[in-house]
Amino acid sequence: MSLGTETRAGWGFVAPALLWTTAFFVAPFLVMAAMSLATLEGRSLVWGLHLDNYARLFSQGYLLRAVAVSLEITVTVTLVSVLLAYPLAWIIAFHVPKRWQRLALLLTILPFWTSYVVRSYAWLLVLAREGVVNDTLLALGLIAEPLTLANTRFATVTGFVHFFVMLLTLTIYANLVQLSPNYARAARDLGASGLQTFRHVILPLTLPGIVTGAFLTFVLCIGDYITPQILGGNNELTVPQVIMVQLGRRADFPLASALSLMLMGIVTLAYLACARWLRLDRL
Amino acid sequence: MRALPWLALALAFAFIYLPVGTLVLFSFQDGRVPVPPFTGPTLDWYAAVLADDDLMEALLNSLVVAVGSSALACALGFLAAYGLARHALPASGLMRGLLIAPMTVSYLIVGLGLLIVLNRLGVGVSLWTAGLGHAVINLPLCFAIVFASMGAQQHNAERAARDLGADEVRVIVLVTVPMLAPALLAAFFLSMTLSWDEFIIAFLLTRFDVTLPVEIWSLLRSGLSPKTNAVGSLVFLVSVAVVLAAELIVFGRRRR
Amino acid sequence: MTPLRNGLLAAPLLAAWLPAMAQADGELNALVWCDHTDPALIEPFEAAHGVDVNLREYEGTGAALAILEQSRPGDWDVLVIDSIDVPRAVDAGLMAPLPAEDLPIADLFPEVVMADSTTRDGVPYAVTEKFGYNTISYNAAKVEPADMQDLTKVWSDTYKDRIAIYDYYLPVIGLAAMANGLETAGLSADDLPALRDTLFAMKARARSVGEVVASQTALATGEVDIVVGGGEWLTAVLAGDQPELTWTIPDQGAVRWAQSIGVLADSERQDKALAFVQYILSPEAQAKLATSACFWGMPANAKAGAHLTDDQKAILRWDEQAAYLARSQLYPAPDDALDFAFQDLWLEMLQQ
Repeated sequence: MSLGTETRAGWGFVAPALLWTTAFFVAPFLVMAAMSLATLEGRSLVWGLHLDNYARLFSQGYLLRAVAVSLEITVTVTLVSVLLAYPLAWIIAFHVPKRWQRLALLLTILPFWTSYVVRSYAWLLVLAREGVVNDTLLALGLIAEPLTLANTRFATVTGFVHFFVMLLTLTIYANLVQLSPNYARAARDLGASGLQTFRHVILPLTLPGIVTGAFLTFVLCIGDYITPQILGGNNELTVPQVIMVQLGRRADFPLASALSLMLMGIVTLAYLACARWLRLDRL
Repeated sequence: MRALPWLALALAFAFIYLPVGTLVLFSFQDGRVPVPPFTGPTLDWYAAVLADDDLMEALLNSLVVAVGSSALACALGFLAAYGLARHALPASGLMRGLLIAPMTVSYLIVGLGLLIVLNRLGVGVSLWTAGLGHAVINLPLCFAIVFASMGAQQHNAERAARDLGADEVRVIVLVTVPMLAPALLAAFFLSMTLSWDEFIIAFLLTRFDVTLPVEIWSLLRSGLSPKTNAVGSLVFLVSVAVVLAAELIVFGRRRR
Repeated sequence: MTPLRNGLLAAPLLAAWLPAMAQADGELNALVWCDHTDPALIEPFEAAHGVDVNLREYEGTGAALAILEQSRPGDWDVLVIDSIDVPRAVDAGLMAPLPAEDLPIADLFPEVVMADSTTRDGVPYAVTEKFGYNTISYNAAKVEPADMQDLTKVWSDTYKDRIAIYDYYLPVIGLAAMANGLETAGLSADDLPALRDTLFAMKARARSVGEVVASQTALATGEVDIVVGGGEWLTAVLAGDQPELTWTIPDQGAVRWAQSIGVLADSERQDKALAFVQYILSPEAQAKLATSACFWGMPANAKAGAHLTDDQKAILRWDEQAAYLARSQLYPAPDDALDFAFQDLWLEMLQQ
């Protein structure tokens, strides 16, 4: 087989997926980019090369605020999720007996299979003023008055963290069990304390897994509409919520496109910030 | 000190199961408001769910979209992974990047882009377009999973088969696919779960026939009732049954 | 696992579903408010006419116009729209004229016919089918009912963090206008600063801003005690379990909503669409629409009273309508520019 036919055959295999991605991902993205440069006059769309929508992002207070809200929520969720998932994965990997680990993992991610829309709604019921949490705390005498939990940023963050702790526990666990115990043993033989071993040996070795999980958390969280919409009580709007309002109430595709590109810009920055640890094609 | 990890584990599970437990408990609520105090139990809300044609139709729609889009994504992903792993192609890094790219973009943006294009082309949205969107977001996953599991072991078996005179199609069908079956199954299963539960793309790209998450969303917007709890609990129980079945199948296979 | 799923789930479902598909020899596409999606309302029509009615919900005239614009001509047959916005749809050439003699317009409550909006040159383009009020819903066990008669007391510091606002900008802006002594029909861009102050004051004391169910949930679960923009449509479905949840029309008045139904000009199924409109306006269907699962509201057809129980009428305040109609004003009906300004104002308020 000559190299020519070899290459041609290879192309034949890759082409369908490439065409698919180009036609239904790259092309729509380019159209969306063009759309973000169009404007609405009354109700009709005018194509062109206007920067009006981008100017609005910075001049209209509520749009800029939406970007800030989205960023604050996403960064909080990512950090809290990693900080909760790491110890959980650690306990499952190193404290739970081997034969029970699979079961523990399965139990950890089982609620992942409740419908995603319903999961947020369930949190709303849990956090309500007369909900389970307030009821329990009142009964235990820990609080005198019901706490305001639902319809707040706290509720949005809780709903997100619940979901991402499940996912991150899985990825971090996979990383931890791949570690050879020899590394830790070697570090200890060389006189490192438990904390030093963790900081200088285990953490760096598990960092790619953590960063990959954290990045996916960031992407999924910043683009999510349902969780803040159900749990946030509209007390503040995230970028996806504003996008949906622009689409639903006035079909402002140009502004929605500009906001989407802004969102992508943020994700790209996050990607560049952690690119050296990312292993996306080796999930 | 020894009890500390177990205490932490118990707390973590309490957190993880709090919403699910509440959801299931109040699906048996005898009354319209699914918050404490618990009154009941009653199965009325389950009866209401099973009698709701729209919900049942949406459930079937979800299943069709999930199976169809996952099968397509797996097929495309497998072919691409095979091509890139077994053939030396120029710019293969670039192509890998392109195939993975949709994974780094919010579903909302994928859906919005497709919606704009479909509107421009005058193509009406339907379950087909929702399935198309799901195949777009699942292709990177399928590709990555299959590509990652293409090792030297399969390559040697393929080479042996080719030396024995099999052409490339036969090699793929008789050697590569069977050897990669666990990865393909995993990719298919993961895609199906994601598609089954995906909301925003399905919401933007459907009209009358909708998938289950979209139907649940409109149920949520049409009145507070334990019916939402009941449908959520049902979906959960069915999914768990399927997950456990899949787990047993995969587990059984690994043991062998 | 696929065969498993198919076997366990799909088989009984297919059995239940396929006959339903087979019997439908026609379709009708309707763009509606969510109250029309109640199967109890739609199924009798489907059975009688052998038609599959496809319903798509929307919220707000702007959204409906946007959907129609993105659709192909002939995609939609029936439109349910705020009565006040019918002229916008007629101007856009969307609505088909209706035969007045085939419609029970004489049976409607005269106040809600709204001929100025729903007819043009004496020809009806839509008919009012349901009406009600965006006003104050509250928990009578937790707030002082007398306070609820004064809008400025409703969003005073007394009830800070005990208020939810209904997330639909038009009626709430209407309420804000009335609190400022403005006529909802005469609102203009000049009124925006005053409206902004009132909305921001409202938001500062509100715990959440939510759609129908979110507001219901907040009120029913004790999250809040007052819903600004609520009304019979919000509390009626809860009345059975929680009779303390009620509503009133304050002294300043309240916003009256009225929705109309009409046939779209581009529909290729004019006859069936008209039949659907006639069905919805019939006394039996009017009673079902009035007590629909999504939200309740007064039927426009006075004859529907014969098909409602006394309890249902009590919840709808059937006997007090004369006084309520006199004290309420219609939704604001902004043009496109003012509509966008209202929407921006609303988003700004949400982000406060």
